[in-house]
Amino acid sequence: MAQQATTVEVHQTSTGIENTKLAMWVFLGSECLLFGALISVFLLYRNHALGGARLHDVYDIPFTSVSSFVLLMSSLTMVLALAAIQRGDQHRLRTWLLATALLGMTFISGQVYEFTIFVHKGFTVHSSVAGASFFILTSFHGAHVTVGILMLLSLFGMSTRGMLPQEKATAVEYIGLYWHFVDIVWIVIFTLVYLIPAPK
Amino acid sequence: MAAGGTTATKEHGHPKERVYVIVALWLALITGAEITISYIKMPDPAKIVALVLLSVIKFAAVVGYFMHLKFDNPTLRKPFITGIILAGALYTIVLMAFTLHSNAAPK
Repeated sequence: MAQQATTVEVHQTSTGIENTKLAMWVFLGSECLLFGALISVFLLYRNHALGGARLHDVYDIPFTSVSSFVLLMSSLTMVLALAAIQRGDQHRLRTWLLATALLGMTFISGQVYEFTIFVHKGFTVHSSVAGASFFILTSFHGAHVTVGILMLLSLFGMSTRGMLPQEKATAVEYIGLYWHFVDIVWIVIFTLVYLIPAPK
Repeated sequence: MAAGGTTATKEHGHPKERVYVIVALWLALITGAEITISYIKMPDPAKIVALVLLSVIKFAAVVGYFMHLKFDNPTLRKPFITGIILAGALYTIVLMAFTLHSNAAPK
């Protein structure tokens, strides 16, 4: 069945790779540049507090660590969802898709809570260049996570209506690639933005 | 789930679910190590090197195992690695521009 599905879905290309899959990786490569630019701006301006609250004074590392762990585990549930559809297990597919979406929502809720605390401490998008670059970077990432959650919920809805058979496993694979990318971007942000000490 | 011994489809050559769980456990352990290092009193350069190294390991594990780049067609690596290299080049160029031009150098 799976082999038959592969025969149906694979197109003849000069690279031997599905065009959509190659396009997805090119898209993710371009996203590296987008986040590379945002992270670069933050790293260059993170010490520009200009009288406002300084970043490392407002961070709550234990809280952000839990958020990071939640997002990291959502990558596991995502890859388990892909494995489930590839073997035709619709029940487990829905379970893992919903788990991934819920973990993503937990991460976003944590980010909203964190932003609220920062604003109460006087660290806002207007307080300094560091604040602007921090909020733009993390908000862009949060927007990507939100888009990922919407796509996961769409897949869940399609699966419950029987519109996501084993033959369409590539749809889960491509959205999974996007979701894992969002996760690896956070791996970089967590280290460079939160954990690494700012130069004195 | 893992005990079921089910495998991802063989035509993709993806690893077993048990492998994904083991990778996730390692990722959790590395995250714990990162947080511990961030609290340990040590020279900043050593701390930065250790944190960046652990971050690179986590990055490579997710890309290699969860995104299957380790198992898929090597051609797929090219656009992604090019993006990473260009992002690094962008940071280097902007950093150089800022530090070479004293007026624009960040404090």
